[in-house]
Amino acid sequence: MAAADSPSAALRRRDLCSRGIRLAGKMRADVVDLLDTYVEQQGLDASATVAAVEGVPLAAVERWDEQTGTQRLLENLAAYRAFRALLAQMLEEQREQLGEADAGLGRALAAVLLQVSAFAYHLEELLRLESRGIPGEEGDGPPPPPRLSLFEQKLRGLGVLRELAQWAVRSARDLRQLAKPSAATGTAPGLAESP
Amino acid sequence: DSHVQYERVGADVTMKCGSMDWDAAVTWTANGTDIDDSHLNGSYLILKNVDLSQSGQYSCYEGSSWHLKYQTYLRVGTPPKEPVLMCRSNNYPKGFYCSWHLPTPTYIPNTFNISVIHGTKDMVCEKDAIPKNRCHIRYLQLFSTVKYKVTLTVTNALGKNFTTLTFDEFAIVKPDPPESVVAKPVPNNPRRLEVSWQNPSSWPDPESFPLKFFLRYRPLILDQWQHVELSDGTSHTITDAYAGKEYIIQVAAKDNDIGTWSDWSVAVHATPWTEEPKHLTTEAQITETTSASTSSFMAPPTTKICDKGAVVGSGAVAVCWTAGLVVAAYSVLFI
Repeated sequence: MAAADSPSAALRRRDLCSRGIRLAGKMRADVVDLLDTYVEQQGLDASATVAAVEGVPLAAVERWDEQTGTQRLLENLAAYRAFRALLAQMLEEQREQLGEADAGLGRALAAVLLQVSAFAYHLEELLRLESRGIPGEEGDGPPPPPRLSLFEQKLRGLGVLRELAQWAVRSARDLRQLAKPSAATGTAPGLAESP
Repeated sequence: DSHVQYERVGADVTMKCGSMDWDAAVTWTANGTDIDDSHLNGSYLILKNVDLSQSGQYSCYEGSSWHLKYQTYLRVGTPPKEPVLMCRSNNYPKGFYCSWHLPTPTYIPNTFNISVIHGTKDMVCEKDAIPKNRCHIRYLQLFSTVKYKVTLTVTNALGKNFTTLTFDEFAIVKPDPPESVVAKPVPNNPRRLEVSWQNPSSWPDPESFPLKFFLRYRPLILDQWQHVELSDGTSHTITDAYAGKEYIIQVAAKDNDIGTWSDWSVAVHATPWTEEPKHLTTEAQITETTSASTSSFMAPPTTKICDKGAVVGSGAVAVCWTAGLVVAAYSVLFI
């Protein structure tokens, strides 16, 4: 833990957090734009309520302010790994359903998928900095989905994108908590605790 | 017996004198004043098409003994219209508050009942002591996509009404305006104004939930605002102010990521620094002063006709400003 608390580690942490916050902000903006496109092109009602979908990580959290830094990083990493798999699945479904007819939506999905992957990697970097082991990915993907109708696929996609937009906001907040100056002393919101 | 009786505006009201027979001799009073017999049907008091002014205490006395036989307080009013409900989070992420009012008064007492549901979970909205028409809720969860549904029901003796608001956590976030806005001239800089402000005190954690700001400013004599959006910091230097002109400046705040802009702050006024006018005694000194004025971007003598006292009308202001702009643009070339 001494390495994680060194001044250079603290600076590196703050740098990673700052860049992560910017990444999350850009990701959120792109996801919001993608949501508009998705709703329009899939013929959905933007105000439709979508029930929680199995395998989609919920951004909602209780006692968020009490979370340790490690908890924040691990929950974020698990979420973005899950989104990476979900978006890849959505992209595949798009191509199967619409082929080239919806290239714009496909490109937008691919771009967000790239950002999600980059953000997951960024989180892994932060965890490495804290000398935390990076959890394996075996359990992070969604379970094999039951065969859904086309409409159910569209609704699930809507749920995925909405939840991802929430996560992007939460992630920026989480990283700001991690970046707080007190984190450099090792006494900060929870980076001192072991997982 | 004494009790309260509620009736709608425009209703016809019949009051019986307690258990007195219809043909009993009685006297009715309204707020202590005898009521004319023309309003009586036997011992019944008939009030047709009542209006608000007829609210008051009605008493019935037995004819000969003047014993009080019946008393009621008539309250004329209306059933409630659909209430106006607003919910807002000015202290995110702690919670939000809802406040309400009736669009038109009912003139009789009303009871308000508010319910808040988040998904399937009922939440308690704690009533504020002041103001009375407000309650607040603490967030139990953050970053939820599940919407909140708030229903306000208003009930009085003549009827009830309700309204419902549905919103998500992010949509209602609206900080209070920035506080302590200060604008000062910058010495030796006739086109600059230094503006500073503070985060609203109601915003609990600006470090974790930073605000961004929108600043607007204009000279008093113009209607068009200049705008600047600032992603961080609580100060800004205006560098394109018109020399010698009084400015009005306001600031608004918004969470960096979610919600809507606050209302504008209280307006502050400031005038950029101007050089002290030199005393003119000779032609040579006048020439010298004019050259010095140009190099320091001070408004040339022609600006004087733009002073409030000299302006005759809006046409004069437009011409005035055009001349000033031309000179200012010319002066900039000599930077």
